[in-house]
Amino acid sequence: MKFNLFLFFFIFLSKFIMAAEKSADPNLIHKNLRCLVCQGQSISDSNSDFAQTIKLVVKDLIEEGKTEEEIYTFMTDKYGDWIVFKPQFNLQNSLLWILPYIALIFGGFFIFSFLKKRQ
Amino acid sequence: MLSNLGNILLFLNVIISLSIIYIANKNLKIIGVIEKNIFKLSLIQSTSIIICFFVLIAAFIVSDFSLIAVYQNSNSLKPLFYKITGTWGNHEGSLLLWVIILSIFSFLFLIYNKNHPKKFRLLTLIIQNILILGFLFFILFNSNPFSPISPVPLEGLGLNPILQDPALAIHPPLLYIGFVGSSIYFSAAIASLISNYSEKSFSFSIKNWVLISWCFQTLGILVGSIWAYYELGWGGFWFWDPVENASLLPWFAMTALFHSLIVFEKRNLFYFWVIILCLITFILSVTGTFLVRSGILNSVHTFATDPTRGIYILIFLSLMIFSSIFLLFKKYKKENYNLNGNSKETFILINNWFMMFYLITVMLGTIYPIFTDALTDNKISVGPPFYNAIIFPVIILFLIFMALGPKAKWIKNRFKNIKTYLLILAGAVSLNLTIIFFFKSYSLLSNFIIISALFLIMSSLRDLAKTFKEKKLDFARIISHTSFGCLVLFIGLNDIFSIEKDYNIKLGETKKFENYSIKLQNLDLKNYKNYQAVVGKLEIRNINSNQFNVLNPEIRIYDNPKTLTYEAAIKTNLLKDYYLTMSNIDRSDYYNIKFQKKPLMVWIWISVIMIVVGGFIRVLSNAKNN
Repeated sequence: MKFNLFLFFFIFLSKFIMAAEKSADPNLIHKNLRCLVCQGQSISDSNSDFAQTIKLVVKDLIEEGKTEEEIYTFMTDKYGDWIVFKPQFNLQNSLLWILPYIALIFGGFFIFSFLKKRQ
Repeated sequence: MLSNLGNILLFLNVIISLSIIYIANKNLKIIGVIEKNIFKLSLIQSTSIIICFFVLIAAFIVSDFSLIAVYQNSNSLKPLFYKITGTWGNHEGSLLLWVIILSIFSFLFLIYNKNHPKKFRLLTLIIQNILILGFLFFILFNSNPFSPISPVPLEGLGLNPILQDPALAIHPPLLYIGFVGSSIYFSAAIASLISNYSEKSFSFSIKNWVLISWCFQTLGILVGSIWAYYELGWGGFWFWDPVENASLLPWFAMTALFHSLIVFEKRNLFYFWVIILCLITFILSVTGTFLVRSGILNSVHTFATDPTRGIYILIFLSLMIFSSIFLLFKKYKKENYNLNGNSKETFILINNWFMMFYLITVMLGTIYPIFTDALTDNKISVGPPFYNAIIFPVIILFLIFMALGPKAKWIKNRFKNIKTYLLILAGAVSLNLTIIFFFKSYSLLSNFIIISALFLIMSSLRDLAKTFKEKKLDFARIISHTSFGCLVLFIGLNDIFSIEKDYNIKLGETKKFENYSIKLQNLDLKNYKNYQAVVGKLEIRNINSNQFNVLNPEIRIYDNPKTLTYEAAIKTNLLKDYYLTMSNIDRSDYYNIKFQKKPLMVWIWISVIMIVVGGFIRVLSNAKNN
């Protein structure tokens, strides 16, 4: 009985909490692409011709059934890494992604070393 | 005429600074009190630099185009208010503002710290004056706002229209008080190292200065964000733009600093850590200026760049860093801590731990692209998705520690009321579920962030209720911590519940989505003093309640300099903002409109203001106690 209740509660919760699997969201993708002719704006925020064109390209790619990641790869192949706001995880960017966590762990050890040692 | 007067005053300030350094240095060797002349000179210094600034303001008001700075940044048709604010809206004028703050803080620090050793006070004064000299030379040789131009032009080029804005008029001064204010504890830290003044009373000399600069830094960042929200027209207020990051880096260091200072003051621990934080706060402030002014970084703020400026600031910065490191190594003595794992000291260290993590992450994201560009010739962008991915998961833990930490006792703590915390946690979880039940579901990460923010808010409020009974009120901390929890909560909810729609629309056309309809009712051409505007009239109707709002976004065409800007129309109320921008599409009679519904926007601003209110309350109570 208790187990069933737990199971029911779990399913009930997960139904609320888990976001449903969606097809690629154009607005989100627009926000992650840089408008190359503007100063530090995404194509979602820009009114330039370039932004309008890229928006159309993104729309076509989504209709072709491309996933979010595939669209970013398509863009970087064409325009270079500068266009995506989320740097890809590769050898060149590995330090960027890993160093913050190394700093976090290192800091944790540092604090630990200040603590009272038990005899 | 004004050009000469300004230059004379600048030279006068160089002489005053040199004399202060000379007299203070002589005074160091004599036993007794600080010489009266030093106070007088310091006062004259502040006064004359302020007069110098007024001369520049006068030049902007009367549109004296014989000055390059006025010619490049002003225009005789500009409204008076923006003529005045244009004084610090450019590189040269803002540097003068730097020197004013350096000088005033130098004077105030001197007169407000009577109880501290003479040697420490004089050394602080000397180092502060070396900084002042550094900036004065920078102004005189590289960025002189009083440089004349000949022949004198008849009309000025004007100020970039997006900078003609009340928020941007006060944004730089606020931010500079934060940035430059940190110079005084940089100087004090160096003075403390040289004079071996490492007693805990050292903390009394700087703690209010740290808090004051922190409060202004926070306000400066807030005003900048509000400006970005309504002026840049994309509906966001934080873009993790390199220049925004540059203002955030010293903020993390300051926040870590004033928390560590509590431990230093109470337990006489962490002296060297406090000194390091003092040093890096100002170093980060100057680094930020270097990155912005040199044009190394691509950003929306790069309105004033010139490589030669970069080189000067870089030399100045290197000198500061090397002398700081040299001095630190020379004076460093190992401290043994032996802290108890569960104690207030440890909790405050944990705060510093997270602050350093944020600082390193943001710094890495800001400068990494420079390195990849230089080393591999491959330019990368580090934008919001990077910071969201790294920082947000860690915020959850941070908020929980922030809720538990303040109640911990010094030296050795015991959690007597684990039950209460569990109850609060249960409360937070159920409140979160209520939101999901009545509105909509969101990602697992968002769930955790909302829950931990609620946990912080609720436990802070419980502290408030409890301290009311015990009459030991710590308003400052409770207000700031609660408001920080609210800030995270409102940003989270805002992000989750925002709606964004993008349409191409013709005059008279109506678009429908969810339970709203938007109609472009009218377009109007209006003439203003320094621009023309196409004003749209759009009606947003809520189909269910049949309430409607009219919004008037504008497309503005400015005369001097010739620019096109898009003004967002914003309807704010306590629950939500409607945000609408309109832009023309070339060679067609369609207009592109972007509509956003952004819930709880006002509360994000209010939360930040309350965080600062907490800071100011602490400043006042410190001032009363000392």
